[in-house]
Amino acid sequence: MGESEDVPKDFIKLKSEKLSVDEVSELVISPYCGAVSLFVGTTRNNFEGKKVIHLEYEAYNSMAETEIKKICRDIRQKWLSVKHIAVHHRLGVVPVTEASVIIAVSSPHRAESLEAVTYCINTLKASVPIWKKEIYEDEYSWKENKECFWANSGK
Amino acid sequence: RFSSGRRRHRQPAAEGCPPGDGGLMTCQQVSVLYFARSAELAGLRCETLSVPRQTTSLQLWEEIVRAHPRLAAIRDQVVLAVRQEYVLLGDHLLVLQPGDEVAIIPPISGG
Repeated sequence: MGESEDVPKDFIKLKSEKLSVDEVSELVISPYCGAVSLFVGTTRNNFEGKKVIHLEYEAYNSMAETEIKKICRDIRQKWLSVKHIAVHHRLGVVPVTEASVIIAVSSPHRAESLEAVTYCINTLKASVPIWKKEIYEDEYSWKENKECFWANSGK
Repeated sequence: RFSSGRRRHRQPAAEGCPPGDGGLMTCQQVSVLYFARSAELAGLRCETLSVPRQTTSLQLWEEIVRAHPRLAAIRDQVVLAVRQEYVLLGDHLLVLQPGDEVAIIPPISGG
């Protein structure tokens, strides 16, 4: 059928269930690729001395998927040999130590997928309409990525 | 003429457009989506607003703040997304179609 073609694919998912590193890395595996590079973003238990109870994520779902697709397109223009890209982002409550985002990229050799994963998470933080609320014991805080050019850091 | 087409202080809701004004001040019903801090300040996640068909992004923001004055607190930290494209608040001219999505985008924190 088309099995030997192994057409490059983007796998983008926003979901409220627990993310799986196995699942995401298996999506990008290809017989033509010797490298699968991964990034896993997890929830830390503290911020500026305050104990983080959990994170809550929300998204402008349709636009977030569109922006992630744009990032995938950019990756393929910059790193021509990249084969498959998977981006899974969790929404809703994410307990401490659990993954909020998993990115996997495959390529024939390791340099491209390693660089592409770095580009993917950095650009996601700058451009994808997803918001994180950090819940502490007595209060909460909407976080602002330093990559976001319309944030007023230090205000 | 200020009696029609410039009712900036009326209730935000699917009330319908002012009659017979035509031209640039014709209003369109757009869907406004609120996220994160802006949803907390506005007290809701989405609504239909009647806004001028042609407007700058800053004027559109000001229409939305008229409907939800507490949003003024985040004016320096938001951009809009009109038809899912980011737009800075300013002189950027928008031509809105009925049913267009306009989203209030506070600073993002994905990943």
